Amino acid sequence: MSSHPSTLERPPAFRRIGKSILLTLPILLWSLLMFSRAFFQPRLDLRLASVVVMLFMTALFFLMMRTGTTYRWRRYFFVALGLLFPVGFIADLIAVRGTMSIPIERMVSGDTPFCYMVIPMLVIPAALTRSIIFPGSILPTASNPHSIAIMIGLWLALTLVLGKAWCSYACFFGGIEEGFAAVAKKPKIRRIDPRFRLVPWAILLAIVLLSAALFEPVYCMWLCPFKAVTEYPAVRSVQTAIQMVIFVVLFIGLVIVLPLLTKKRTQCAFFCPFGAFQSLFNKINIFEIRIDREKCIDCAACRNACPTMAISKESVQAGNTLLGCMKCGACVDVCKNHAAVWHVKGTAVGPSSERSRLLFLYGAWAMATMFGGSVLANSVSHLLHFAM
Amino acid sequence: MRKSFTAVLGYFAGGLTLLVAILVPFVLMGFFSNAVARAGLHVDEGYSGGVAARTIARDGYRIVVNQPVKPHLLQRMEPFVQVAWEPASALPAQISEDVDLDGDGRPDVHLTFAVPADAKEPLQVNVASLNDNYQSFAGVENESYSRLVMRTDRGIMVRVPLSRKFSTR
Repeated sequence: MSSHPSTLERPPAFRRIGKSILLTLPILLWSLLMFSRAFFQPRLDLRLASVVVMLFMTALFFLMMRTGTTYRWRRYFFVALGLLFPVGFIADLIAVRGTMSIPIERMVSGDTPFCYMVIPMLVIPAALTRSIIFPGSILPTASNPHSIAIMIGLWLALTLVLGKAWCSYACFFGGIEEGFAAVAKKPKIRRIDPRFRLVPWAILLAIVLLSAALFEPVYCMWLCPFKAVTEYPAVRSVQTAIQMVIFVVLFIGLVIVLPLLTKKRTQCAFFCPFGAFQSLFNKINIFEIRIDREKCIDCAACRNACPTMAISKESVQAGNTLLGCMKCGACVDVCKNHAAVWHVKGTAVGPSSERSRLLFLYGAWAMATMFGGSVLANSVSHLLHFAM
Repeated sequence: MRKSFTAVLGYFAGGLTLLVAILVPFVLMGFFSNAVARAGLHVDEGYSGGVAARTIARDGYRIVVNQPVKPHLLQRMEPFVQVAWEPASALPAQISEDVDLDGDGRPDVHLTFAVPADAKEPLQVNVASLNDNYQSFAGVENESYSRLVMRTDRGIMVRVPLSRKFSTR
């Protein structure tokens, strides 16, 4: 056996630079392909932003290959996405309509950009009446390029590849709380009742049924914390004022304060109904995280590291993670005994962990570069535009 | 034997997922988007205002009257009819006219509003119901999807709420 780890074995510390570059090459070529159109744009800020983001994404993937770890490097991308997405989105809104708020006239005209959070609420009304209960437009228009068909198509395609990993490689909201969760060195609140994990499922059930009964996207109207940093209904009545207060309180509580105190993604773990919905796709996704029982010493490091409490004592004993695992890699990276491993369903647990990780990461990073990368490039171009 | 077979299947599925990822921006995204666009779905009439029922020609402009929109199940909005005056460029400075909303040949409401030259000026519309099928209103204090006065790219749009009595027919 060679003293150096092969490409497909888990590197104990660092993989050699040559091999790391070789493994990064496909992502570099993919990034070039994804950003090639932006390189020929007349706007200098957009060209510069595309180069910066392309290098950023490629460098992070190289570091994943070099160090054999995933979570930390993915987090740089994800936090950047979470923090910069509102910048680009708000700048675009202000350029188009001069404000972050959307008045009822705009909604009636189908100008509300579609958000994937609505998808679970659309299913029953669409099945029963073919109605989409969202004030957007089915096809893209000049005033609303984020049409319902395009965004659902994008979500379906990304979900086929990522499953629940959507929540750690594509969701432009999760990065905000992941950023706040990373601030403190140690959590102030350590004990969280595991029953809170059921809350997103309860909210999902409630909003799906209520939306079907009321024929309106209940979560978007009353509960979405991210309305506070994206787009909200123009405050013209008591109802819209109450809605706005709820959005801000939920955002401050679930996305800022609780992640700071717990070092967990509290909104994702204990509130987000879309995350619960997305968990269902873990059942059909071929990639997962498994716990090798022979190597596990029950140190609980994986459970403590998991940002969404998707590992329980019982699941460790069963050698699995829970349905809500978003494949961020935190547990794998923290496990000193290499008991938490990347896994392709149907294969043996353990020996092929690095092969499984590579197979998963190429797909996931390709999607992150395509979707998150374009969001990042748009936001960075706005920042450069202001700076130049 | 069985284990190696499932492992081959597993890696095959993993490779397939990678292939799907490569196809997403070039084929799959467009494929799924087109499938959604062709699925015969429509934005709920409560938002879109429903489909046009008929057009009334006037001197230089037209009035487009939509089919009445009635709420589903527990939907909170009132039933309404959407009426639009278009095109904006051909509208006179003042409009005051009877409109037949249900197509029975008799006027149902009398609408009065000024068309300000400045598109940013607020619209003041008075709707007087001529029978008990529709609700009268002057201006819109608490705007809602069923009680709305607004400018669109094409002209001026008014949503007239139906009376409860009429909407249950």
